[in-house]
Amino acid sequence: MSASVDLHKISKFANLAIPSLAGLFFLGGHFVSFYFHFLTVVFLILTIVNLFYMFVQKKHAILRNFGILGQARYILESVGPEMRQYLFASDTEERPFSRVERSDIYRKSKGVDSASSFGSQLNFDNSEIKVRHSMYPSDKEDIVQFSLTFGEERGIEQTFTIRKPYMVSAMSYGALGVNAVKALSRGAKMAGIAMNTGEGGIPKYHMEEGGDLIFQMGTAKFGVRNEDGTLNDEKLKKLAAEPSIKMIEVKLSQGAKPGKGGLLPKEKISKEISELRGVPMNRDVVSPAHHKECVCKKSTVAFIKHVQDVSELPVGIKLCVGLTSEFRQLVEEMMLQDVFPDYIAIDGAEGGTGAAPKAFMDGYGMPLMPALYSVNNILTELGVRDRTKIIAAGKLINSSQQFMALALGADAIYSARGFMLALGCIQSMLCGSNTCPVGITTHDPDLQRGLVVEDKAKRIVNYVNGLEHDFYEMLAASGIRDAKDINIDQLYIPNDTALADQIEYLLEKHQSSLIS
Amino acid sequence: MKPSKLKPAQRVISWVLQLVIITILGYASYLKLSDHAAEIDLFSKLGMEPAGRFIIGFIEAAACVLLLLPNAAVHGAILTFGVMLGALIGHSTKIGFVGMTPLAALLLIIISTVVIYLRRKQIPSIARMLN
Repeated sequence: MSASVDLHKISKFANLAIPSLAGLFFLGGHFVSFYFHFLTVVFLILTIVNLFYMFVQKKHAILRNFGILGQARYILESVGPEMRQYLFASDTEERPFSRVERSDIYRKSKGVDSASSFGSQLNFDNSEIKVRHSMYPSDKEDIVQFSLTFGEERGIEQTFTIRKPYMVSAMSYGALGVNAVKALSRGAKMAGIAMNTGEGGIPKYHMEEGGDLIFQMGTAKFGVRNEDGTLNDEKLKKLAAEPSIKMIEVKLSQGAKPGKGGLLPKEKISKEISELRGVPMNRDVVSPAHHKECVCKKSTVAFIKHVQDVSELPVGIKLCVGLTSEFRQLVEEMMLQDVFPDYIAIDGAEGGTGAAPKAFMDGYGMPLMPALYSVNNILTELGVRDRTKIIAAGKLINSSQQFMALALGADAIYSARGFMLALGCIQSMLCGSNTCPVGITTHDPDLQRGLVVEDKAKRIVNYVNGLEHDFYEMLAASGIRDAKDINIDQLYIPNDTALADQIEYLLEKHQSSLIS
Repeated sequence: MKPSKLKPAQRVISWVLQLVIITILGYASYLKLSDHAAEIDLFSKLGMEPAGRFIIGFIEAAACVLLLLPNAAVHGAILTFGVMLGALIGHSTKIGFVGMTPLAALLLIIISTVVIYLRRKQIPSIARMLN
């Protein structure tokens, strides 16, 4: 026998002790003082509960075998995640974002100096990509101010120029509460960056703050749909004419659940949601896995063209890469029809603000770095890299990660969770349950009370300023004067990384196609 | 964590039963706290006069208040169940089954059991297991 505590014995003792004590107190109440019956009642109730656990309920084996003491297991288990996060998890091991990664953002958003000492806590073996610096850093005053104009390739009238390489990625009103949307849009406006509205229909609360918005059209086309889920041209035209809507994004798929639609249950459709999203109140609304109009490469490209024509704004697409061969065919079709989206947003499979089934969240889609490399590679190889822009999304919350994405071919950066962390997210991972303790992803007024819009908007500004500061510092250290010149040579890519695998794979494929 | 919501029909039934409990229990509490002769007589038989009478009276009043709060009603019902269990013990061992009081106690035990059952998912330790 081991010397460990024999829980079975202890619980047997407890199961015997509880009714015995009840009996003992009963005798005390009867013969000594009626006051003993206060305890009799308590122990009688415990006895009843215990009997119920052991002989009536059938769902929980632990309770059936050990009775009321077994309940301790459930109580301990329920506080486990908090315990681990507060006490036992090391600074680098938490997922999706470790404390090291998160505290960098917290410091940036509070405007605190983010310098640290005595070395990095990250790995320097063959599992991590690093940025190479130059022996001859450029002078900061020589560096060209970042600028990127969407729609310039098509020569349209209403192009959209950004002066910072960051944008707030898609988060709808619905996923976020009112206060969070207001704080984000106000902060984004103050910081001078654009914000994606997410597929939440007409972005009423986003528009209230008057910042630059990218309207996302999901597969259900909330806000611009006909009853049957097809595009309503009139509604899109009207929305595109809103002064704050600067671009339209057609979402083909997203990293959290690539290849999968969603369902908005009728219980969640309030009058407001019904109006904003343009859906009836009395039945469930299915977000299909693909746009009704997009069933093949031909129809997909034609649909992009249609949205470009109707909205007269820059129109981008967002997708998580699955088969690179499919993406190549899509680009070839674009060349055939001579239609290119004004940007392609690549969402890595690690992208994650959307609620999704576990199998899709964990197991589907290509991670960002290899996907980004492949997309840039395909566009370059086909000679059309200059016809569109690439935006990268997926866990790009820190400056170095963002710089790596830019080096792999991205022109700009999307982040959602980075901005949520700046808003005060503590990664309690309750986004889908309406119980977000910091009031970001909840509609509960009690919890939203904690999120003060003015204060958190400033955090967004600080975060963007911190990122931008790092960005120019990193450009200088790499000896680069213009952000457009960042390329893959700036990266040190160890052999064991997913990115290295993808590079090798594409290289082999390329060589074999040259031979054959 | 917020307590889970009841279905509309369950909510109506639960609230009706809670109001029944509050009426009976509130009246009993009032009699005890206002030195009613019958109660003094009763608690003298238990050997708890006057402190025990006030303690029970206050517990009953507290249970009534809890039963009025949506998120705490289940705790009020548990408290009612406990006090009435004590009352039944008193009647069966010291006072005897005479008059309306023991019947009222029995009725309250049954009703509070139903309320506890309807609101079982709002008991914190059980709610944890069900999630």
